[in-house]
Amino acid sequence: MATLSNNDIAHAIYLVSKEKTHAELREINNKVIKFLVRRRLLSKSPDILERLNKIINHEAGRIVVKIQSARKLKEEIKKELITFLKKRYKMKEVILKEELDEKLLGGIRVEINDEIIDLTVKNKIKKLQEYLIRKI
Amino acid sequence: MSTNYIVENLKKEIDNFSSQIKAEKVGHVLEVFDGIAKVSGLSDIKSSEMVTFPNGETGVALNLEEDTVGIIILDDFSKIKEGDEVKATGKILEVPVSDNIIGRVVNALGVEIDGKGVIKADKTYPIEKVAPGVITRLSVDKPVATGIKVIDAIIPIGRGQRELIIGDRQTGKTAIAIDTILNQKGQNMICVYVSIGQKDSKLRKIQTRLEEGGAMAYTVIVSAGSSEPAPLSYIAPYTGVSIAEYFMDQGKDVLIIYDDLSKHAVAYREISLLLRRPPGREAFPGDVFYLHSRLLERACRRNEEYGGGSITALPIVETQAGDVTAYIPTNVISITDGQIFLETDLFYKGIRPAVNVGLSVSRVGSKAQIKAMKKVAGTLKLDLAQYRELEAFAQFGSDLDNATKLQLERGKRAVEVLKQPQYAPMAVERQVAVLYALTKGYMDDVPVEKIKEFEDGLINYTENKTKKFYKEIVETSMWTDAGEAELKKAIEEFKSNFN
Repeated sequence: MATLSNNDIAHAIYLVSKEKTHAELREINNKVIKFLVRRRLLSKSPDILERLNKIINHEAGRIVVKIQSARKLKEEIKKELITFLKKRYKMKEVILKEELDEKLLGGIRVEINDEIIDLTVKNKIKKLQEYLIRKI
Repeated sequence: MSTNYIVENLKKEIDNFSSQIKAEKVGHVLEVFDGIAKVSGLSDIKSSEMVTFPNGETGVALNLEEDTVGIIILDDFSKIKEGDEVKATGKILEVPVSDNIIGRVVNALGVEIDGKGVIKADKTYPIEKVAPGVITRLSVDKPVATGIKVIDAIIPIGRGQRELIIGDRQTGKTAIAIDTILNQKGQNMICVYVSIGQKDSKLRKIQTRLEEGGAMAYTVIVSAGSSEPAPLSYIAPYTGVSIAEYFMDQGKDVLIIYDDLSKHAVAYREISLLLRRPPGREAFPGDVFYLHSRLLERACRRNEEYGGGSITALPIVETQAGDVTAYIPTNVISITDGQIFLETDLFYKGIRPAVNVGLSVSRVGSKAQIKAMKKVAGTLKLDLAQYRELEAFAQFGSDLDNATKLQLERGKRAVEVLKQPQYAPMAVERQVAVLYALTKGYMDDVPVEKIKEFEDGLINYTENKTKKFYKEIVETSMWTDAGEAELKKAIEEFKSNFN
């Protein structure tokens, strides 16, 4: 028996529950849980859910973007960011998750899945440090 | 130096500094154990791409799975913890190379470890490279003089050849390699000695020995010690060959020694098992053959059109109780162009180097032998083969005809002449003179126990008396009739005075 990855399960759940009515979904949910219990995969459910979330977001053209900044961002900057990110990732919708971290000193740090765009002052200072103490 | 000066300089440096903004691919550490890290994310990573951990440790991605990446950590992994951010660098693992590396001891990443200061390098070479193709190659036809009689005469090695040195522990495998390096003085050869999983004390001894012999002037030592993590042992030979390629690209001839590949395979087995790759025979992973074949295939002789130069590889493999049918020995035997087989029995019989002449072969080297050596070695090989065949008879005593007795006596003397102490390489023209005397029967009536004395005396004597013969060998690699007559006369003279 080939092993099932969490990603495969999440994908399967997404496909069966796509465009289904509420009543049908109940049925499907029951079946999914039974399946997970039978295969002893219940402990994997948080990971499967996370992946399912990602798949749904991806199919719907949505991305979740984590933004860290030292101070609260102004609305116009946010708008500008959203249009930029929509264009860069060719997505219809961008969900911003903001986080404040004073240690960044200034600027912003954007995290999309496993890609990071670091525009913080902290990062620039670190790079300057590396540059100044580099071996010549 | 005034403070102003420092401030001015700092200002200048800061003005020069420009930071580029780019999107970085990152992942997060899921688990770390035994020098291996499982990392999530890093979606666009390439195989054997370098990654960096928060404290500056480097790693190499080896296993690319569906949603995790298996990374081998090349530094101390004790500070890496779960959740740490791992950055992809987009570069395949590279080592710094330069001419300054000659005479130095470096680790598997090309960083100096001999305390003689940073090695300045402006170039880097990737450690994994596809071996040179057929079009760029030339067949082996120039000799590597090892200075060891038995090898130069019977199992000759050519530039660009891969000759395996195989044998049990304590049979003198490393000694052959070190003697070969010592003999490369003035032979226009760069040597790279790759030490894999060896004791640091042994490495130190070798380094001191090479320094004493003046060999560090053309030698680089790459070391992955036994106390360092397995990933370093795994990459050390590739680092070595990259350094060798750097010199070959300048058209130079390079000799590289891998000491030893069995430890390399063991290090790779450790990594593979930790990465959960399925084990095969002797628990080695399925690609252990490719591990060594891609390494040894990088040894080559390139033609002039492609810059010339060569890499001669002398891999060393250790066997257990003389078992050459184990997995790694058979693999490496089939990859290389011949093997020098060393035996414990011979070693304890006092035949040193303990080369088993019957099992050792050189598949391409005879083309590279100089003509004079070919002439004397042909008869020598025959003498030895017949001797081995008759040796069994000799056990039964006296009833042997004269021809057989003569064969046996000749064989005994041949074995005696081929003995050679460690760290005493012999120039090829001297070897020819001695072997000439042996194969022409001049030693047949010298008592076996006096052969060594005879040999030493003969070399001293002929070197002064037969300058012409020696000159001919060095210059044209063959004697003329006049030279031969001169040598014959000198041998006879010497013999009549020898008691």
